[in-house]
Amino acid sequence: MHPWPKPLGGPHRSVCHFCDTLHVAEPLPEGTAARCVCCGAVLYQNRPASLVRVTAFSTTSLILMVVVHSFPFLVMDAASIRTTLNLSSAAGALIHRGSPILGVVLALLTIVTPLSVAGGMIYVCGPLLFGRTAPGAVHVAKWLNKTEPWNMIEVFLLAVLVSLLKLSKVADVHFGMGFWAFGLLMFCMAAAVAGIDRNELWDRLEVAKS
Amino acid sequence: MNDSLPRAAGQGLAGCHTCGKVAAVTLGRCPRCGSHLHLRKPNSIQRTLALMAAAALLYIPANVLPIMTVVELGDVTENTIISGMMTFWRQGAYPIAIVIFTASILIPLLKIIALSWLCLAASGKLNPSPNMLGKIYWFTELLGRWSMVDIFVVGILVALVQLGNYMTITPGPGALAFAGVVVLTMFAALSFDPRLLWDRLEILGIDPSPLKKADP
Repeated sequence: MHPWPKPLGGPHRSVCHFCDTLHVAEPLPEGTAARCVCCGAVLYQNRPASLVRVTAFSTTSLILMVVVHSFPFLVMDAASIRTTLNLSSAAGALIHRGSPILGVVLALLTIVTPLSVAGGMIYVCGPLLFGRTAPGAVHVAKWLNKTEPWNMIEVFLLAVLVSLLKLSKVADVHFGMGFWAFGLLMFCMAAAVAGIDRNELWDRLEVAKS
Repeated sequence: MNDSLPRAAGQGLAGCHTCGKVAAVTLGRCPRCGSHLHLRKPNSIQRTLALMAAAALLYIPANVLPIMTVVELGDVTENTIISGMMTFWRQGAYPIAIVIFTASILIPLLKIIALSWLCLAASGKLNPSPNMLGKIYWFTELLGRWSMVDIFVVGILVALVQLGNYMTITPGPGALAFAGVVVLTMFAALSFDPRLLWDRLEILGIDPSPLKKADP
């Protein structure tokens, strides 16, 4: 894979988003990070095989999302009734049982945002693998920046564990396939999001467009 | 301050919030991604304080009102965030009680206090110590999202526990208020500009770079 390309012109500079110190942005060896000389915050990182990793992990995430939605998270047997939980039923239950706003918020944080982050990553990074940009890739990349903090699948995973402990006193509860797929999904999404530095992604977009 | 490190704002340069490109702020928009360029986030302190005040107000109904109602064999129990945590504690499930206490009570409170403190420091009402404040900001940005865990638990329990006359759970108004607290504090952390803290140091004439001497 090609190393991190730099757009024409220069000198390239980088500003610490934390303390506003101005640096000259030197190219880095893969796997290392540049830190601010003033406050120590990370300025940019050169991730190894970034585009391949992001595309691979995002694609895996999309496949895992299909698995997560097809199999239950938790299966509960109580009072001779079996109820199952999957990702969309938690949001659906809130919508139908008295708190529609909360249901929509939950759906946004655990279903819509992860889907759009993974899809957006593939849309932007896939064509970049071949040195091209997809139409509107700049807008998608901007959108990715805004939505990424609202991806809360790891928080949902903790909530599933807490619920299991809460219910284990009153019922027989066990994990379904969906739970294990969701654990893998959390790992893959984290790897995809951390797979490429923001500065590298935008440098690559700028180089590919010119 | 002649020998201090160069700061972008001093040279009229702004790092784009979205793509990281460094460009002259007079351009108005980033030449690479088209986002608005600012030396500092506009009205950062006012926005953060307004969002924090709203969050602090909502924090009261979030803790007083029930987050869910459990109907078990005709008995109605209203659960608040604190009562849910106390139940775990009494059952001897200490680790999970501590997780709930941290995520639902401690983090929102600390976040409200920390961001208000940062706003005071950034507006010059307090004397800042940069590394400490920086760590506080990083902490609030990183941990805020975990407060959402109790809301997700309510969603999961409402979905699972629908056992007819035996036991049903419905969401309460406290859950919506608490979700509001989390979302508002997240927006507040996003609208705060940590560079304002270093601006204060520059005004006060304090050298902000402890790392500079160690690594010339």
